Amino acid sequence: MRPFEYVTATSIETARQLLGANGHYLAGGNDLLGRLKDDITEAVRLVNIKGIGALRHIEPGPDRWQIGALVTIAEIEDHAELRKIFPGLQQAAAEVGSQQIRNVATLGGNLAQHSRCWYYRHRDIQCLKKRGRICYALEGDNRYHALFTGNVCISPVVSNLAIALTALDATAVIWRDGQERRLTMAELYELAWDNPTAHHSLRPGDLLLRVEIPTKRPRSAYLQVSEKHSFDWALVSCAAAARLENGRIYDARVALGCISPVPHQVAAANQFLEGKPLERDVAEKAADLLLTGAEPHEHNAYKIPMARALIRRTLLQLGT
Amino acid sequence: MAEWPTQPKVLGTRVPRVDGPAKVSGQARYSSDIQLPGLLIGMILRSRWPAARILRINLDKARKMPGIKAAVAVQEGPRIVRFYGEELAAVAGVSREACEDALRVIEVEAEPLPFVVREEDAKKPDAPRVWEQAPNMPPPRVQETGNVDAAWAECAAIVEGFYTTSVQLHHPMEPHGGTAHWTEEGLTAWISTQGIASVRDGLAGALRLEQSKVRVITEYMGGGFGSKFGPGVEGILAARLSREAGAPVRLMLSRFEESLAVGNRPSSFQRIKLGAKADGTLHVFDYENYGTAGIGAGQATEGGGGGADLPMPYIYQVPNRRIKQTAVAVNAGSARPFRAPGHPVASFGMESAMDELAVKLGMDPLELRIKNDPFEIRRREYKIGAERFGWKEKYRKPGTSPGPVKVGVGVASATWGGGGSRNTRGEVQINPDGTVEVRLGVQDIGTGTRTVAAVVAAEVLGLKPEQIHVKIGDTLYPLGPGSGGSVTAPSVAPTVFDVCTRALEELQKQTGVSDARGDNWKTACKKLGVNPLTVQGRWREGLSSSGVGGVQFAEVAVDTETGLVTVKKILVVQDCGLVVDPLTAESQVNGGVIMGIGMALYEERVMDWQTGLVLNPNYETYKLPSIADVPEIDIILLNMPERGVIGLGEPVHIPTAAAIANAVANAIGVRVPSLPITPRKVLTALGQVPVRRSSAT
Repeated sequence: MRPFEYVTATSIETARQLLGANGHYLAGGNDLLGRLKDDITEAVRLVNIKGIGALRHIEPGPDRWQIGALVTIAEIEDHAELRKIFPGLQQAAAEVGSQQIRNVATLGGNLAQHSRCWYYRHRDIQCLKKRGRICYALEGDNRYHALFTGNVCISPVVSNLAIALTALDATAVIWRDGQERRLTMAELYELAWDNPTAHHSLRPGDLLLRVEIPTKRPRSAYLQVSEKHSFDWALVSCAAAARLENGRIYDARVALGCISPVPHQVAAANQFLEGKPLERDVAEKAADLLLTGAEPHEHNAYKIPMARALIRRTLLQLGT
Repeated sequence: MAEWPTQPKVLGTRVPRVDGPAKVSGQARYSSDIQLPGLLIGMILRSRWPAARILRINLDKARKMPGIKAAVAVQEGPRIVRFYGEELAAVAGVSREACEDALRVIEVEAEPLPFVVREEDAKKPDAPRVWEQAPNMPPPRVQETGNVDAAWAECAAIVEGFYTTSVQLHHPMEPHGGTAHWTEEGLTAWISTQGIASVRDGLAGALRLEQSKVRVITEYMGGGFGSKFGPGVEGILAARLSREAGAPVRLMLSRFEESLAVGNRPSSFQRIKLGAKADGTLHVFDYENYGTAGIGAGQATEGGGGGADLPMPYIYQVPNRRIKQTAVAVNAGSARPFRAPGHPVASFGMESAMDELAVKLGMDPLELRIKNDPFEIRRREYKIGAERFGWKEKYRKPGTSPGPVKVGVGVASATWGGGGSRNTRGEVQINPDGTVEVRLGVQDIGTGTRTVAAVVAAEVLGLKPEQIHVKIGDTLYPLGPGSGGSVTAPSVAPTVFDVCTRALEELQKQTGVSDARGDNWKTACKKLGVNPLTVQGRWREGLSSSGVGGVQFAEVAVDTETGLVTVKKILVVQDCGLVVDPLTAESQVNGGVIMGIGMALYEERVMDWQTGLVLNPNYETYKLPSIADVPEIDIILLNMPERGVIGLGEPVHIPTAAAIANAVANAIGVRVPSLPITPRKVLTALGQVPVRRSSAT
């Protein structure tokens, strides 16, 4: 690891001031410290934000819950009431890394993490995402890569919480240019759709403050398939959230992870589900709509049937 | 010939690992725990090219970096490097960070050369050559017995298949390396190794030192699985850095480096055609195989036994057989022996074909095996296992399990030697206060060597295992064999029996106590006066033998919509002669099975053809089983005291992957002919994956 300055901030304003031009916010550090050790991210200064108490709370509310960016994944996983209100979010949290990682990893860090593409993460490969010339995954080993992209890079978003929060239609509140800004989950990631060097839409200096989750979808679920039974990244993940009345689906939202640089949503699928009975055929039709236009590469076409099964299972789980 | 006691008091009882408390409390000192005054850290500069001509390496700038005390090149003058990660130079400094900074300023002048890292590319005639003087894939060696071509007509059933396995990395928890301290008196090296004697000789040879000037110490080590017999380039570099710096140097590899240059298990591409008579008798076997041992293919691999050839047709006897094998070189690190070299890979190919044949014959796969297995102990093991496992109730026709999550069962088996080394020596010192020290120049690779020695000594001397202090892992002790081939227990147990028997006789003679054992022990020892009694001895005939079987049954659940395989249960029926300590023996079985699960479902070194790099040089993407992946492991050890002690570290790893692969095929009704069996391959085998135009590679 190369030398860097290390400072501690106790408020949002001082954190931003201390960051300077080429600093990084340090929370759980799971992603950032790994990148520094592997020499794929440069840092002049790390600003420890763990002491900013305002970002550590889970605040319930009748219409919406607020979860601070420094709340740990383990806290989300273990929160008894949250588990009842947003079961999909709790399930997504429980699948993150290992218990040790969840104990220190934060909501903000999970949402802002970088690509896990093995070309991007290799210290001696200068790929497109690291401002190199080509995406090696295109003609290389792309078993873990995306089925959709708006640019040449095919590394997918792998944040579990992003997928669950997309289905729940959460709002990310960030600190930008001295004020709070509100982004939909789609907006939080949209830059990665077009720009191969982006992992999300956050700009240098932006600080994730919290997410706000509307309570209008009392049913939610999250499922993923990995190669191993724990402590493994998802090959495909799926989250769904909705309101059920008399066995019919309302306000449904479905999102998929690990198949696109952004949480994968298809408006037509959500619209199709409106008012439909929660049945296998309906779920499968929604899966068709969600996967239309998928462009598999040499090694990742298996993600299509896997995603199809996950969409159906996740939707049907809303009824249980 | 010596004999084990027929009414043992300690042998065969469940004795907890004598060094367990030291390990779990952090008291046990591993090579990286050695603290010495002025200790420096060593780090290695590795080739960034998968193939290159190295013209010049300039260490001047590195030597001048703050905190750097030594810098050495692996080799003077121009050379060719043949894989990404090959060692070029090393530095020693006051911290990791100082070393990293120094490595960055080493100037390497190199001409990149064409390279090839995938087997299918390397075997093409126009592929870049890994070794200039020879093609990457030499013509196969052919062994033929009987008349293969004529025999097919005499078969009632013939099956054909193509089975592949991946290159696996050893990835011991403790990486390679050690701490070296070079002084005027000589070199002391604390190396993480399976062979203190071979490391001592290796270091002496490489550094042109007298063997008497080199002392190797390995009190504790965290696994090697076949990859840690020699000093390695890293061990030699640590010693050279220590000499140049005039200070001790600790050089342990990183997890990243573990993926590159310290061994692997060769891949295999096995084409099998197998025919049987109507009653199931195997009649003809036609086999072609190649795999890659990295740059070691076609060359001698370190430690031997790391080549790509497989022992086929494995445990079976087939009268008409043709076996063609070769290896293909690629620009990747050389293979090394890997827990039961060749056997698990051979077992996967052969046992897959056997199950296919059983289906074709309409026979129960277990019956087909019993019919064809020449080894009596194993035939018994099939029956014992089938009873305990409930094979008859669980086995159903392939693919007939209802619902999207299908269950299936499979069986496979092992053969192994596991005999002891007759050159093993040891000594025991009995102190006047009654304490006993057993000293053996062997090492414990995690199998419980200290405990085995303590159990045997306690048995002979009529004491409790905790009264015996076993000292191992030091070349100052009487030397024993390296820990490979499952030889350690059958080497150590007869040796300790011998030295303790001699010592007891001597003690009784010197003190006049007719039976010094048990309650008389302290009294007898006190009569020694001031001088302890030290007795040397050696391996004794009759207390060990070799040749084990071993059968494993697997039960799996396969989600046919996601492709995920869950191992629900593994049943192990294993013989190892006299079971010295059922606890450490079962621990070996657990480890072997878990490693087999890794081979079956998760482990694969992935090379990128474009850059020549290992794409998964970490535990994140080189996947190993974790606790959630480990099922119930039911263990039946056949205790055969009359056979003496036989090693079991390797045989218990052999059949697991094959049994799981057969269980998966039994569950879903189609075979995934390739390890590891990932969700991707399961969905592909089930025909669910849309076929895409092939890429431009």
